Amino acid sequence: MKPRVCIIRTDGTNCDLETAYAFEKAGGNCALVHINQLRSGTEKLDDYQIMAIPGGFSYGDDIHSGKILSVELTSFLKEQLSKFVSDGKPVLGICNGFQVLVRTGLLPWNELGTIRATLMHNDSGHFECRWVSLLLEETNCIFTQGMGGILVEYQVAHGEGKFYASEQDLMEIEQSGQVVFRYADPVQQKQTMQYPHNPNGSLHAIAGICDMTGRVLGLMPHPERFVEFYHHPNWRRRKFSEPHGISLFRNAVNYAIKNL
Amino acid sequence: MAVQEVRVMNLPQLGDSRGKSLLYEIRTALNITCINKVLTAKVYRLEGISAEDADFLARELLFEQVFQVYSVNEPIIKDSDELVEVAYKPGVMNPEVASILKAAADLGVTGLLAADSSHEYGFYGSFSKKELNKILSRLLVNETVERVIIEKPATLLIEGQAGSTEIVPIRFMDDELLMKLSKDKLFLNLEEMRTIAAYFKQIGRDPTDCEIETLAQTWSEHCGHKTFKSKLIVNGQTKQPLLKRLQESTANANHPLVLSAFKDNSGVIAFYDGLALCGKVETHNSPSAIEPYGGAMTGSGGVFRDIMGTGKGAKVIASTDMFCFAPPDTPQEDIPAGCLHPGYLFRRVVAGVRDYGNRMGIPTNNGSVHFHRDFRAKPTIIVGAYGIMPAGAAQKGSPLAGDIAVILGGRTGKDGIHGATFSSGEMTHRTMNVNSSAVQIGNAIEEKRLSDALLIARDEDLIRAITDCGAGGFASAFGEMGQDIGVEIQLDRAPLKYSGLAPWEIWLSESQERMALAVPPEKLDRLLQICRDHNVEATAIGKFTGSGKLEVFYGDKCVCNLDMDFLHNGLPNRTMIAKRKKLNRETKEPCCPAANWAAVCTEMMRHLNVCSKEPIVRVYDHGVQGSNVLPPFAGVTGKAPNDAVVLAPVLGKKYGAVIAHGMNPVLNTIDPYAGSIWAATEAVSNAVAVGANPDDLVLIDNFIWPYPDEESLYDLDRAVDACTDFVQATGMPFISGKDSLSSTYRSADGSVIKIPPVLCVSCFGRINDITTTISSDFKNVNGRIYLVGRRDIKQMGGSTYFDITDSFSPDVPLVDVKQFRQTIASLHQACTSGAVQSCHDISEGGLLAALAEMCFGGNMGISIDIPGDNRADYFLFNETAGCFIVELTSGANPEEVFKETRFLQLGHTTTQLDFTVNQDGKKLFEVNLGLLFEAWQKPMKEVFGA
Repeated sequence: MKPRVCIIRTDGTNCDLETAYAFEKAGGNCALVHINQLRSGTEKLDDYQIMAIPGGFSYGDDIHSGKILSVELTSFLKEQLSKFVSDGKPVLGICNGFQVLVRTGLLPWNELGTIRATLMHNDSGHFECRWVSLLLEETNCIFTQGMGGILVEYQVAHGEGKFYASEQDLMEIEQSGQVVFRYADPVQQKQTMQYPHNPNGSLHAIAGICDMTGRVLGLMPHPERFVEFYHHPNWRRRKFSEPHGISLFRNAVNYAIKNL
Repeated sequence: MAVQEVRVMNLPQLGDSRGKSLLYEIRTALNITCINKVLTAKVYRLEGISAEDADFLARELLFEQVFQVYSVNEPIIKDSDELVEVAYKPGVMNPEVASILKAAADLGVTGLLAADSSHEYGFYGSFSKKELNKILSRLLVNETVERVIIEKPATLLIEGQAGSTEIVPIRFMDDELLMKLSKDKLFLNLEEMRTIAAYFKQIGRDPTDCEIETLAQTWSEHCGHKTFKSKLIVNGQTKQPLLKRLQESTANANHPLVLSAFKDNSGVIAFYDGLALCGKVETHNSPSAIEPYGGAMTGSGGVFRDIMGTGKGAKVIASTDMFCFAPPDTPQEDIPAGCLHPGYLFRRVVAGVRDYGNRMGIPTNNGSVHFHRDFRAKPTIIVGAYGIMPAGAAQKGSPLAGDIAVILGGRTGKDGIHGATFSSGEMTHRTMNVNSSAVQIGNAIEEKRLSDALLIARDEDLIRAITDCGAGGFASAFGEMGQDIGVEIQLDRAPLKYSGLAPWEIWLSESQERMALAVPPEKLDRLLQICRDHNVEATAIGKFTGSGKLEVFYGDKCVCNLDMDFLHNGLPNRTMIAKRKKLNRETKEPCCPAANWAAVCTEMMRHLNVCSKEPIVRVYDHGVQGSNVLPPFAGVTGKAPNDAVVLAPVLGKKYGAVIAHGMNPVLNTIDPYAGSIWAATEAVSNAVAVGANPDDLVLIDNFIWPYPDEESLYDLDRAVDACTDFVQATGMPFISGKDSLSSTYRSADGSVIKIPPVLCVSCFGRINDITTTISSDFKNVNGRIYLVGRRDIKQMGGSTYFDITDSFSPDVPLVDVKQFRQTIASLHQACTSGAVQSCHDISEGGLLAALAEMCFGGNMGISIDIPGDNRADYFLFNETAGCFIVELTSGANPEEVFKETRFLQLGHTTTQLDFTVNQDGKKLFEVNLGLLFEAWQKPMKEVFGA
């Protein structure tokens, strides 16, 4: 049985179709579920094994990016969300989805309703779309198993992606090994604070984090935009054994098959 | 209840990127250095709730403790030397408000009647009032839509008294009175006014304001394309109307891919797997000139809706943008009165395209910017969109009698009333309590959910016919949809943004994000259900009748009852006269540089029409939808431009779409025929350079021309001749187009600035295998580099080189279109055979710029040899379109590959990062590519602070 993947949509969601494509390519069975369907009860999170909140501009990113959707999730779907996570089901938030995960409090510590980290406006002051290199940490994150230490390239496309948390919380995130992706210098292959390799000024070059269980992952770059070799801007001059984004989706699907 | 105020700002230690960006602009664009810091805060106003509730909303919604501080009903920036709040004027739609109201309701706060948001700026330093005012007027406040808040508003609610329907006694007006009526608001000529008066005399009554307005907008230049439809007398010779000639050339080309040309909101061609592609390119010059952010946004929104409203509905897959401005460093004193500074226009237009396209999730990935001093009076803003749909849904639908007229999307307000008839650039009147500016701020999210709902409705076959509400609003949309059978509209059913609209205002309003549909009655309920599921407002406001009449009611009062036949066919035919003007500028050629080659090359690369536009592209999401397979910029460091965009819009399928364009306003001012041929050639070259098959390409025209006096009309006639000649020689038809003939600025003292005439040719098509497409970056060291195509290097008129050397020649590049067709056929064959490693077409900046950009992409150098009988500077800087630089694979034999076309081996690539030029084997000069790169990147970096 293919694991069922719930891709959450609402007003202004985009990147939903390409996220679904990536999961399908990795062996998932996707449904695009509008938040209204969850609120009305015609759809239930419980019927799914994986949940993804795709990138885009939910509700225009008004007030703060992802904020209006976060308020809606914590106001109306708190119990469903809590249960989904405590059932050990993987949750992925990409770009706007990452912003939603921190603004609901699911990241970093699964405290629905308490915001402990944030994604601020880019230091550059503007939206930025470019390919970046990312260094993967060795973690218990189920999405990136076997990828620790390697360098991948994804595209970023956001105006609010500067990861920020208080010094103390940041230390805790680091110490509990929750940092999964860091922006890196492609030549030196080391994490960097240097623009544009670090496109937004994220503290500790953080591009993505997971919760303590490793099952909730949020990241600003877009892995779903590199699931065919020809997605890479330089596929005409470089060869890839596999597009860098696909393993993330495959790991989630395989995890669900094995554990759920 | 009182208005509560919440202010939010970043924690002081975290910096303020908005403030920093503004400070950068103050320093670079205004050269004001005495401001040393700018802090910004967001201001939210909430009406109808208590201070406690406002505090609750601040904590739960508006502010985040991790990185921000907030205040309720008290200042938050307290120590600045000046504090200024800038807000939208009342009546200008602030898209954020709907989100605030929704989230407050989600949080259980009841009683919130209205909300608003704005920004507060704290300035630090010792500056004068004059300097502050300069910052406000040049960078922060556009008085068309914004204002400085001096006093806290007592209420945010907008109310007004609805005006009634007036009768216009047109039957009894003499010519003078008719023209007075026209001048005030209708912009029709005397013959047209007399025709209207005669119609009402015949039917024995006077018209309502609704009827007069409906006629004026339908017969406006904007909607009626009167110049393009009029008979011409050119230098004494009678010629067919421009539009007829364009359409006939398309019909004669009889291109097998074309499914719909010049019939619908966009042109449609066959794609693969039973799918179709469509394309539309629009201009939004007048609105963008007065409010660049909103103008560019609504321009994008409008052209996206053209795609959404093609056939039975298409999905938008790409957005393009082409702009012309005066140089961003033009001195303020050179800017004509009443015009905005080009630096401001440029940045705000880019921001508008960015915010609409990004939020809609539509990749903006093809475009260009052109600079010329004569755009200082009015910019040219061109926005394009492309879509995909099932081929079975590609034909424009026709409503049947009994179908329901439904409106979807945004509510109707006083926005943009008279947008269609307002073409002279002057605003004649404003309504009392609501700002009814011709420009709005677009709401991309409204349009995104509208699109989501429409695509489902299309797939369930609920739509008989669809069109967008653009210029002329409901009047235009339903007037056109019901053209053949008649329609009856009940205006009082239209959801309004606020009370106080007269019936004619509802009818003519150009509020954004609205679509008009004809729906079979049995399918209405399902459509309304889909809309509800997607938070889209949908309302049945009438039905298609079969009466042949346009009947509009407000309550039980009939406010418009016109014969469709008169409305659409009553406009008298015009005959217009065109005459050639004489160019009387003397030819002046530059001397060939002797020693300062490096300086000349650097200046060429730094030229605004040559330099890198990367900072613009980076603020557009060009990767969304996961479809991009050839981005605008790529190469080793991601900084080398490609000629066109290639998309694989059906995920997992290897067939693709290609989109490109070409335009050259400078050439058009010298020779509109050659300039127009150049534009079409450049558009097609861009597509073929990336691997497109010339047999699978079609074209879109956009004429942005000065007001058609005899001379400008002559130029326009020549441009159309160029287009039809191009179609005939290449077989590539124009399938959609648009004209905007108002690029003339008249100052108070009567002096006139004619904006350079622009023909933008867009080119799109299909590619059967995107893995055979080609990028511009050089791939191999020691790669063999060829020049392919025919050019006469003496044709230097209108070139960048002549601009920097202050030279002039009427001898502009004139492409031999037949030979060009041969060249691209052969080049395409080379591409499919796998012989081509990299390819780039020659345009502004000539061979120098093309080669340098390919070097930047490959991170390598180049050494070339110029044949001895050529003038070296002309060889390097000639800008003839239709020529290509090609890197061949090591095995390929050029004699074989290019046997059907002209080619020349230029040289080879090198590891050393120099641009080396020899002539007849002797070294002429070399220049470091790093220097060229820096010069090429610098101008836009300065504008955008990237």
